[in-house]
Amino acid sequence: MTFSALALWALLAIFVVYPLAMLLARMVVDHGALTTGAIAKVLSDRHQIRAFWNSLLLASVVGVVGTSLGFLFAFAASRCRLPRPLLTAIDAAVLLPLVSPPFTTAIAMIFSFGPRGLITYDLLGIKGYTVYGFTSTLLSEALTYFPIAYLTLRPVISAIDSNIEAMALSLGASRWRVFRTTTLPLCIPGLANAFLLLFAASLADFATPLILAGNSFPVLPTQAFLQITGLFDLRGGAALSFMLLLPALIVFLLQRYWVSRRYYVTVTGKGAGQTPFDSVAPGARATLLAACALIALVIVYFYALLLYASLVVALGANHAPTLQHYRTIFTDGLKAIRDTLIIAGFAMPLGGLYGVVLGYLVTRKRIPGGRSMEAVSMINYALPGTIVGIAYLIAFNEPPLVLTGTALIIIACYIFRYGPTGIRATVALLQQIDKSLEEASQGLGAGSATTFRRVTLPLILPAFFAGLGVVFIRSMTAISATIFLVSISWTLITVKILENITELSLGPAAAFSVLVVVIVFVVIALIGLALRRFRAVGAVPMTSLLGG
Amino acid sequence: MTTVNPSAIRVHVDGVSKRFAHRVKGEIYAARDVRLEVRPGEFLTLLGPSGCGKTTTLRMIAGFETPDAGRIRFDGQDITDMPANQRNIGFVFQNYALFPHLPVFENVAYGLRVRGLAGAAIEERVGEVLALVGLAGYEHQFSGQLSGGEQQRVALARAIVIRPRVLLFDEPLSNLDAKLRVQMRQEIRDLQSRLAITTVYVTHDQEEAMAVSDRIAVMNQGRVVQEGTAQDLYHRPASQFVAQFVGRVNLLPGRILDIVDGTGRIAALGSMIVARSIPPGSAVGDAVRLIVRPEAIEVVRDRGGSETLLATVLSHAFLGEKTEYVIRCADELLQAVRYNAGMGGIIPDGETVGLRFADDAVTVLPEHAS
Repeated sequence: MTFSALALWALLAIFVVYPLAMLLARMVVDHGALTTGAIAKVLSDRHQIRAFWNSLLLASVVGVVGTSLGFLFAFAASRCRLPRPLLTAIDAAVLLPLVSPPFTTAIAMIFSFGPRGLITYDLLGIKGYTVYGFTSTLLSEALTYFPIAYLTLRPVISAIDSNIEAMALSLGASRWRVFRTTTLPLCIPGLANAFLLLFAASLADFATPLILAGNSFPVLPTQAFLQITGLFDLRGGAALSFMLLLPALIVFLLQRYWVSRRYYVTVTGKGAGQTPFDSVAPGARATLLAACALIALVIVYFYALLLYASLVVALGANHAPTLQHYRTIFTDGLKAIRDTLIIAGFAMPLGGLYGVVLGYLVTRKRIPGGRSMEAVSMINYALPGTIVGIAYLIAFNEPPLVLTGTALIIIACYIFRYGPTGIRATVALLQQIDKSLEEASQGLGAGSATTFRRVTLPLILPAFFAGLGVVFIRSMTAISATIFLVSISWTLITVKILENITELSLGPAAAFSVLVVVIVFVVIALIGLALRRFRAVGAVPMTSLLGG
Repeated sequence: MTTVNPSAIRVHVDGVSKRFAHRVKGEIYAARDVRLEVRPGEFLTLLGPSGCGKTTTLRMIAGFETPDAGRIRFDGQDITDMPANQRNIGFVFQNYALFPHLPVFENVAYGLRVRGLAGAAIEERVGEVLALVGLAGYEHQFSGQLSGGEQQRVALARAIVIRPRVLLFDEPLSNLDAKLRVQMRQEIRDLQSRLAITTVYVTHDQEEAMAVSDRIAVMNQGRVVQEGTAQDLYHRPASQFVAQFVGRVNLLPGRILDIVDGTGRIAALGSMIVARSIPPGSAVGDAVRLIVRPEAIEVVRDRGGSETLLATVLSHAFLGEKTEYVIRCADELLQAVRYNAGMGGIIPDGETVGLRFADDAVTVLPEHAS
């Protein structure tokens, strides 16, 4: 036990604490002397200050719009008595953006609203319409991230005891008043949580603004990226990414220590088997469903468009069907596909294992510094990817640990950035499992190794699979951190998609995106199958883990 | 019904049915042709095992469920299709359903605010009701800070403050511990008597039902199987189900020997037992069931006397005020009870005793009346 704890601490020190320390050091130390030069330079640059405020503005609006959309869907799903197939359809449509590579909605936006866009140019006949800017970035991010709000809010709304609403109704309140005075107030902690999650996601989003924000609306993550790749100014990039740290940290702390304590406990003895009364009037129900259907249609349209674009010569110009783009990605792009799969293939089991082991150690074994170990393990997960990427770039570029250009640096980045999902799942599961189960096993004569193998392990298997799934999905779709870590020797599909977009070869970009979505869906299905195979009871649905 | 409340209303449940889709059994009837009449100011209890349809019936009276057939009337007015928020009812849930985001005062004031009362009037009425349920001073507490009994009182206050036409209780005491349950049911009964609001109360606890109700309707499998006062149900059960559900009972097979002026002599327990209540239409030779309450069996240790049956004590349980015995008599196992006056007096296992039945303590049901 002590050995594994020490090993974990060592890994956390190398891959979480050390890079962050190096990032800070690079910013404030110049040729061996303390300096505030880099920060001062950033703070005095009006362009960068604007990027900072833009980032906050975008994140706030995305938070509000995305949370509203998520609430709309969650409320409809849990209060409108939808038939099963319809619910499944909603879940599937909502899942799509979560498992897609980062540029998909952005590409679809360009296809629809770009200079030769299907909607702006072909349908409406508008010439010279500029898609780039705040509005497009907002729309694209809201559509990409609202599923997080949906997944956060749905259990909150479902957990509200419908007797409370029935009570308000019986006291004479109208349905609208019941909603306003009971349902909505009870959702406030959930809404705040969803808002903070979306705020953080948008703040850290690098891909969408890079494609859609254009020059008129600079934001911090893209500015940091351009500072480093365009001007080769590592120190300036570090300082810029550091400006992201403060809001990100505030949001993380608010979410973890403030919102989480404000949930109203609505655990009741009865109620579960009770049929809820019709809390939504027929007219309101129709309106809600229509709104949801409309948004789901937009999502489906975007993805259909992506698929279509990957199958024609050039969308908007030449709609002759072709498989050329797929040929391209499986020849020119084959290395990226292979590299990505190899990296994901290594990161997935290691990340899954890391999550379960750390989660188990900190909840069930009294290891030195268990609580702080969990906190430290969350750092890379909570920080915007840009910061993590730049920190790794700075830390592992020079001795004692030179990892630049290897696959290891990318794999390590994924493990320590996305493994924490598995940690959280394990901790949450273990907290629900009464310790007496393990004690019962020991009471029956099983040693602690047998107990772990026969009792604990099967119980935390769902968390392991959840960890596997999330690490794999993110290994296939992430870019914000790893864009700084790719090299000639090891590259990624997402980076290739970005290159394609900047070269305006949108066909191959669309084909790559379709490929990623297909691979991810197949792997999710396989993990779901494995979960059922192992008869993991109380398994957390995969989708609910993508939210955090 | 100690007080007369001139505005108390009469509730008619007229042939109401409700079906539900069931995962295993397909479509099931939760309530099937339920007929009830609750008199103005009356305290009526729906009593039955879980799944008998009592809660569904209550929720239909409240308007949380719509019946598939039948009508519900308040003082003659058909309210079957009226939404719950216009019926002016007070509902108390098993889990209280207090608004967790509002303090006690606002919980109780909710219905008054909905009715648009002025601030001063609300304050006065909430204050009155909180004093009535013994919670003056709790105005600013949240439900999470209250004990189960206190939450129950808030739920009660919230239901009565709007001066509802009907008070509805859905197993309000089942989340409380045994002692508190007894205290709260007395408080509910007292309050209801004082306010004289027509009340329908749902419970599966027969003792609770007997303690609070003017009348009890026993339900089973979606139907009302018997209605009456607690005494009617206990001493004159119309079916074996009611006999077994309300109180403890000995069910004995027997055969009618003769009937003279409504009093029958019945062959049972290898002997002859006299019963005053013979079911109408019975004939000599009919197979019947005798219903004998444990406390109606007199256990005598000196087994002389001609009317006693011989029996053997198999086991006993000392429960303080009484001792329960299991006794074998002519191959039948009987439950009997003796009250304890002081130390000693407990009949040891294995002793042979005599049994005597009081004439009017034996109820006779036809064999097929399940």
